[in-house]
Amino acid sequence: MNFIPRLETERLILRAFTPEDYVHVHAIFADEEWSQYIGGPLDGGSSWRAFASLIGHWTIRGYGTFAVEEKSTGSFVGMIGHWFPEGWPEPEIGWTLSKSAAGKGYATEAVKEVLRHTFDDLKWETAISMIAPKNEASKKVAERLGAKFEEEIVSRGNTVGIYRHPKPTI
Amino acid sequence: MVTIPRLETERLILRAFTSNDFDAYADLWADGDWSQFIGGPLDRNKAWRTLAADIGHWHLLGHGMFAVEEKATGKFVGMIGHWHPEGWPEPEIAWTLAPTSAGKGFATEAVHELIDYTFNTLKWDTVVSYIDDKNIPSQKVATRVGAIAEDTIEMNGKPIRVHRHPNPNTNSASSTVPKGSA
Repeated sequence: MNFIPRLETERLILRAFTPEDYVHVHAIFADEEWSQYIGGPLDGGSSWRAFASLIGHWTIRGYGTFAVEEKSTGSFVGMIGHWFPEGWPEPEIGWTLSKSAAGKGYATEAVKEVLRHTFDDLKWETAISMIAPKNEASKKVAERLGAKFEEEIVSRGNTVGIYRHPKPTI
Repeated sequence: MVTIPRLETERLILRAFTSNDFDAYADLWADGDWSQFIGGPLDRNKAWRTLAADIGHWHLLGHGMFAVEEKATGKFVGMIGHWHPEGWPEPEIAWTLAPTSAGKGFATEAVHELIDYTFNTLKWDTVVSYIDDKNIPSQKVATRVGAIAEDTIEMNGKPIRVHRHPNPNTNSASSTVPKGSA
């Protein structure tokens, strides 16, 4: 998947997934509390298929989810990117950190870079994030970066808030 | 990046999935009678994720499922290929035709080609097909191409027959589980 870009922030690298990332992605999906807002918990067979679908998304749409790597350690610390499966209202920016990497400001740092990529490189006109009402941590990240709550919708049986990211004005 | 090969039989082309296959692919998964033996029925959202996972499988493992196209019409008529997700005991050859393309011998024709590709191009030692106990049409195809039903195991709570395809390049027709297949 050599068309997948590599993005960089001060402390993070956003890159294509590799097969070695699976154990870390599985750890995220297997944790009942941690994965509750991203469709978990999932067993091994289901998390592997979810992982494979994140990769296939790039081929179908031309954009998708990046693995997030911590520069100082080379460790996998989460995933972030664009997600637009069939039936989604609009393409969204979604993110999830590994549990051990929370509380360091990594989500804000990564989302900021993906917003730049979305509007500057991909030239999208708009982008949303779909966030569960109880997912306080992600709501804070979205709001910190200027996203505005628009409405609550029911997406595939789950109530989610639509947060729209403002397009930077030049 | 993995390059997905293109295989050909008399009437069929086996090739990488494209986004244009999605509607026909989703129809196949939406049909509950038809998709019950492969984990369906699935709605369009889940079918889309499954198509994405079929493509991701290639990038993770270097092998995977092909779309099957009818040469005469250019139509998507089904899928066939290798399938080895986490938790599967061994890699298998799996196939499903679109309901409207059944009864023409396409499955047998495609499976023949896949077996040849598996043993003579990929040079695998052995390969199985996992077929639902109640899926009589697929069991018939497996038997017709020479596979031996060696065992019944439980997968996802269902009885599944393990059909092993004989390797034409070795003397023993069955039995040995491949090394490093996990």
